[in-house]
Amino acid sequence: MFQSGRDVYGRALAVLLGVLLLAPAVQANPDSLLLHDGEREIELSIESLRERADVEFRFFEPYLSEEVSIRGLVFRDLLVEHFGRVPPQLHFEAWDDYDVTLSDWDDPNWILVTHQDDEPISLRQRGPVRLVERDYGSRDPANLRNFNDWVWMIRSIEAVW
Amino acid sequence: MVEPGQPWWRHVRWLWLSLMSFVALMLLIAYQTRWVYPEIHAYFSQSGNLTGQQLATRARDYLQQGLDLLLQAPDDADIRQQAHFQIKLAYSLFDIGLYRREYDCTLPSLAVIDELLVRLEGDEPVTATHLRQNVLAPMRCLTRIEMHQLDRRSAVTAEFVDKTRRHQGQVLAGSLVIFVLGLGFWLMHELQRRRAARSAKESLEWMSRALRDPLTGVGNRSALHDDVVAKHGRQMGLLLVDIDYFKQYNDSLGHPDGDRLLRRLVELIQQAMGQGVQLYRLGGDEFAVLFECQEDRSLDDSCRNLVESLRAAALPHPSHPHSTYVTFSVGAARFKADHAGYERGYAAADVALYEVKEKGRDGWQVAALDSREMAG
Repeated sequence: MFQSGRDVYGRALAVLLGVLLLAPAVQANPDSLLLHDGEREIELSIESLRERADVEFRFFEPYLSEEVSIRGLVFRDLLVEHFGRVPPQLHFEAWDDYDVTLSDWDDPNWILVTHQDDEPISLRQRGPVRLVERDYGSRDPANLRNFNDWVWMIRSIEAVW
Repeated sequence: MVEPGQPWWRHVRWLWLSLMSFVALMLLIAYQTRWVYPEIHAYFSQSGNLTGQQLATRARDYLQQGLDLLLQAPDDADIRQQAHFQIKLAYSLFDIGLYRREYDCTLPSLAVIDELLVRLEGDEPVTATHLRQNVLAPMRCLTRIEMHQLDRRSAVTAEFVDKTRRHQGQVLAGSLVIFVLGLGFWLMHELQRRRAARSAKESLEWMSRALRDPLTGVGNRSALHDDVVAKHGRQMGLLLVDIDYFKQYNDSLGHPDGDRLLRRLVELIQQAMGQGVQLYRLGGDEFAVLFECQEDRSLDDSCRNLVESLRAAALPHPSHPHSTYVTFSVGAARFKADHAGYERGYAAADVALYEVKEKGRDGWQVAALDSREMAG
């Protein structure tokens, strides 16, 4: 197919812009989780988190609409381990550019999920790590708005004191 | 406990019911504010942020971005890596149980995306033709899901608005009912209070009437007794006043004139005795005057003054056997105001009055009681 020189330049420019826009996401390493505490940055490998995952349970996953087996870590314990105590708020950044600041994390009910149905989760399963509530009480799993606090594809967590 | 003959509503605590109604109203308003508005917040607070977007919308955006990259430079390794990342995000946001269950295009679309990801991971060629032929279906599927979810959201929102409007109507009606009930209960309480106040006032009036002589308006024998009790321990003077030949007065002039004479006599006694004395009608034509009195001389002065004042009034008595005017007999005694002292003082004054009558009436006499007799 014939292409004019102007089309070629335009295409090249578009590709360059696309690369520049998407560069931060691609440069980051999906195999690690970054923790920020002021100036301090801790990089945890996803593999080490998977190895440490010691909590297992089955529950009805609202987003999958089916019962699945979950393995992960108690999120509060991880926070205490790396931040000294549970920060009053956490600022999350996700691989899908979602970012949010949430509070009330001093609760062992929150699990940092690393495996689903005995398989490590990746971006395709909204990983490499995501947060779920082990027991979500009487909330209707059919209404997904009840689970807006379940942060997926977590890239970094910053302590907000 | 409801007494026989008393209606049940006389025993209801209307004020409490009224207060409880208004408390219920406040609780209803607090409920509306505390629990209902957060529900509204949950419905409408997500607009304008990522969680407010549909997952299908976000998946379509990522898929679109990945396809744009691949269409621009399908053979560039960096571009392919970036496109692979975007398409993986699209897959993760597309792979939702709700979409799998309700939209039959979801599973085939996910399979197509999965195949594309495998191609990208395996460095297999991805041509524009291949993309156009295979990836447009997932785009259409995501658009279909978006549109349907938007319709559903609109329906849910409309239903929520209707439900909220109905709820608010019910709350408003309930509030009005509770408010009217509260007002009604308060009104019943007010009626009950006024009825009780009126009853108390009537009781007091009856009690007052029971102590007063209806003809002359002065106290009666019971009032005299009560007033003596009220003056417990004080030195009192008691005058018993009797109209001489009152029966003959009545017989000659009639009872209406006799009644007028009694009322006139009350006025005269009150004028003669001045302030600080109490006047009683003990029955028929007999009156009593009670006042604080420390010594016999004062009692003598009072008797003299009273009799002279009455004589000076010169009230005509057409059937008096010894005079053309009404005359009076007065017996007096001092006593200490307690039960025994009163009985003794009253008896002594009565004896003195009897002695005046024995001596021909139209005079006064003070009973001679020594201090020991007065003290009882």
